[in-house]
Parts: sequence; structure tokens; C-alpha cells
Amino acid sequence: MLHYDFMQHAFIAGTIVAIMCGAIGVFVMARGLSFITHSFSHIGFSGASFATYVGWDPLEGLLLFTTVGALAIGRMGVKFFRREASISVMLSVFLGLGILFLSLSTQSGSFTSTILFGSVVGISSRDVWVIVVLTVVLLCLLTLGYKMLKFDSFDPVGAEAAGLPIRFISVAFLLLLSIGVAEAVQIVGALLVFALMTIPASTARHITQSVFKMIVVSAVLAVLGIWVGLTLSYMTNAPVSFYITAFEALCYFLALGWSSLKAKFQPIGT
Amino acid sequence: MIENFSVDHIDVYINGEKILDNLSFSVQPGEMLGIIGPNGAGKSTLLKVILGVIKPQNGTVEMTHSDTRPIVGYVPQSRAIDEEMPIQTWDFISLGLPHRIRPWLTKKDRILIKETMELTDTSRLAKKSIGKLSGGEKQRVFLAQALVRNPDVLLLDESTANLDPKAQEEITSLVQELCTEQHISTLFISHDIHLVAKYAHRVLYLTRGHYSVGRAQDIIENANMDVLYQPQHVHDALQTSVENRRYGG
Ligand SMILES: Nc1ncnc2c1ncn2[C@@H]1O[C@H](COP(=O)(O)OP(=O)(O)O)[C@@H](O)[C@H]1O
Ligand SMILES: [Mg+2]
Repeated sequence: MLHYDFMQHAFIAGTIVAIMCGAIGVFVMARGLSFITHSFSHIGFSGASFATYVGWDPLEGLLLFTTVGALAIGRMGVKFFRREASISVMLSVFLGLGILFLSLSTQSGSFTSTILFGSVVGISSRDVWVIVVLTVVLLCLLTLGYKMLKFDSFDPVGAEAAGLPIRFISVAFLLLLSIGVAEAVQIVGALLVFALMTIPASTARHITQSVFKMIVVSAVLAVLGIWVGLTLSYMTNAPVSFYITAFEALCYFLALGWSSLKAKFQPIGT
Repeated sequence: MIENFSVDHIDVYINGEKILDNLSFSVQPGEMLGIIGPNGAGKSTLLKVILGVIKPQNGTVEMTHSDTRPIVGYVPQSRAIDEEMPIQTWDFISLGLPHRIRPWLTKKDRILIKETMELTDTSRLAKKSIGKLSGGEKQRVFLAQALVRNPDVLLLDESTANLDPKAQEEITSLVQELCTEQHISTLFISHDIHLVAKYAHRVLYLTRGHYSVGRAQDIIENANMDVLYQPQHVHDALQTSVENRRYGG
């Protein structure tokens, strides 16, 4: 299957996006941002629809909407947006907006399903390049900010006490997250970015206790999910997102079972 | 080591309410200043002012170091730790190291972490997840995180509350030892008048609108402590404080 250009593109872009999602996901979980991530992908959906309406590239619309969303959320404070009500309002408003833009534009239904559910066939070599460059920049920033981000995510009170610029860290991370989501939407679709950003990280949490190892395990699981998904989808024609989520969910439950078994058979007193 | 550490005539208002009123005192290198006073007196606020998180409306906090910027270690009153997200104790302590951008630890960092863990008796917890520790173990780890940066000034906000009496004594005497050996100027807030009388070189008694600072003995004798503590406790604490008058006056 790898002698097809489109499969090569899907594998390269998918792998890179997965590494990024897996790595960012650990901080998404630690900062309690899973549902904000979900909101970002919906904001992204309306961005992509807007882009087709005005005749831009979908990624441009995605990036514009998610980054502006990140700045707005950062400005008003993450706490406000963690509330259930705020999230449901945001999800519905942006899904509605997306539908509006789509109905206004002349795009076919296949575009809608691509943006919502992801696609492996539509990735051009230019897309691959954009994704590679964006991800490399993103991962570099994540590396530079690693120490501060880790401090603020795992010990927020301590980070403030140590004089870290916590407001800046929070907004910067939301921005990184929004760019990551925009990229991932193209591969796995707006509805399932959430899965790639949160499930591998949750699984990793049950397998290892160290933050760095968690990032590695999470990224590996995300990459495996993409590979399994692409391969099976190629062979069976079923949607790639289904296989990805099924694989990640399976890993999650296996890890959960493993960690509870381990707890059960641990000798008392250790 | 800190050369000069003083709080000069600070006023702090929060939401229009005067919390600290014309407060002044100074702290010597290696001195342990105990802070007592009722809830809401502004004790935590004072530490935040010293830390620079809250800006006083009037007055200044002066903190000068012989050669570099003074390093402050601070253990806040309360801490939100997510028990579900594992971070190992050694990793948690390493967060306190002063570097910000470098993502890895140097050999020197590792030695520092190891020494700090030995000092605070947390070595055996190194690989454990912070969420799974007991209250007393956590307090030691928080202290270790504040100490690992080799602070010149240490601010402890009720760090030994919720601990059993033995652990309170252990931690406080450990802090006193460190203060003296490494000349760390320490401010510690506590409601335990015994602990304060025994370990503080001097005491700051803070209430809304008033304060007094001096030898533990004098403060406990003269301030109206019966509002806060049982007379018997005040009496016992007085006995203890007589033996501890290093930085008196
Ligand atoms: N962030 C804040 N917002 C509003 N009021 C505050 C804030 N922080 C402290 N206060 C008020 O300042 C007063 C002093 O608080 P604090 O310094 O925490 O007291 P203590 O530590 O002595 O118990 C209290 O009345 C408290 O309500
Ligand atoms: Mg307080």
C-alpha cells in the first residue's frame, strides 16, 4: 500500500501529528483541558467551513479560528471555560456556525465528512510539508517550555509560588494546543481529535509514573494507533478514525486492567 | 547569604480593606522568625508581599544579597495536587530548581536533589507518586522543593499544620538546623505557640491593625495571648521560650 502517494502522505503526516498529539495530551490531561480540546476541534470545524465559504485553504481557516479561540479563552481565564455550561454553549455555537458556513458555500457533502471525521486520501504533499514544519516548531517550543509547563501543570500552586509567569504559560499552552488541534483535525477529523489527544495520555498514566516516560508512551501509543488505523482502513475500506479510536480504547482498557491487577496483587505494606 | 532583609512601613489593602497597617521589622541572616496571630490577620498576605506576588500600596520590602539576586523558597498554605496524575517525588522536588528553559537535569542538579532528599528524609519516597503520600510525607516533599534551590530566604505558611506533634517537631527542628548552618533567614507561620516558643529566635505577633515583634518570651508575656490560646498553653510556652533567646531584642 505504501507505493501509493496518498498512503505515503497519510503515513508521514499521521505519524507526525500523532507524536505531537501524544506529547501534548499528557499536559492536556494534567491541566484538565480535555473538554477545552474538544471545544477547539469544534471551533476548528467552523473555521474550516468558513475557509471553504470564503475560498481559503481549510487549514488556514482552522488555524485562524482555533488560535483566536485560544487567545479568547486565555484572556477570559481557563476556569470559566472549564465549566460544563460554558463548554456546551461553545460546542453548540461553533458546530452551528460551521453548519451555517457549509450551507452557504458550494462545497459537496464529502468535504463535510472529511472535516468532521477525517480523511486519509486528501493529503497533498504540500499539506504534508505544512504539517511537518508546524509540528517541528511546536515540538521545539514544547521542549523549551517543558520545565515550566511541567511545573505549572503538575503543581500549579508551587509554580506560582516559585514566581513562574503562570498566566503566560497558560495562554502559550492554549495557543500550542490550538495549533495542534488544527493540524490533527485534517487527519482524524474534528470529532475525534479529542480521542487522539486524551486517550493515549490517559493510558500512559496507568502504565508509568514518570512524566517523561508518560510523554514517550503516550506518543508511541498515538503513533501505533495511526498506523493500525491506516493499515486496517486501507484493507477494509472502513473509516480510519474508527480503527484509531478502537485501538486507543482497547489499549486504555488493557492498561486499566493491568494497573488494577497490579494493585490487587501488590504485597501489603509496600 | 542575605545581607539586609527588612520590611519597611508597608500598608496593604485588599478590596479596599486595610490588611497590613504600617508594618516594619527586619530579619537577620540565619534567623528564624515565628509569625503568630488569628485567622485573617494577614499572615499569609505578608509572606506574599515578601515574595513579590502582592504589591504593597505603601512601603517597601528590602532584600539584598552579597553578590546575586536573593533566592526565596516558599511553601504555600494550601496546595492543589491532582492525585490521579502521577508525578514522582524526585521529579516534583526537581521542579523547584531555579533553571527554567533547560529541559534536562545536569549532574549537579541530580546531586542537589539527592542531597536535599537526604536532608529532608524523603529519599525512600523518591519513586513514589506524590499523590499517594501521607500528609506529613507531602509536607517534607514541599519543604524539599523549596530547599532544592538553595534559598537565602525561606517562607513557610503553616507548613506543619495537620501533622502529628512528633512530625511537627522534627520538621521544625530540621528547618532550624538548616537556618543556622546555611544562614537561611526563615519566616514561619504557625498556630502552635509551643513550637514557635521553642524554635523561633524572635516572634512577630500580628492582628488586624496591630503588631508586635520581639523575643518570644516578651511577646507571649505582653501581647494578649489569652484571646488565642488557653492560659495554660501560654504559661507552658513561656517556660520553653526562656531557653531560646539567641537573637533576642
Ligand atoms: N485574594 C484575596 N481576595 C480577597 N480577600 C483576600 C484575598 N487574600 C486575602 N484576603 C483577605 O485578607 C485577609 C488576610 O488574609 P490572610 O493573609 O490569608 O490571613 P491569615 O493568613 O493571617 O489567616 C482576610 O480577611 C482575607 O479574607
Ligand atoms: Mg494564612
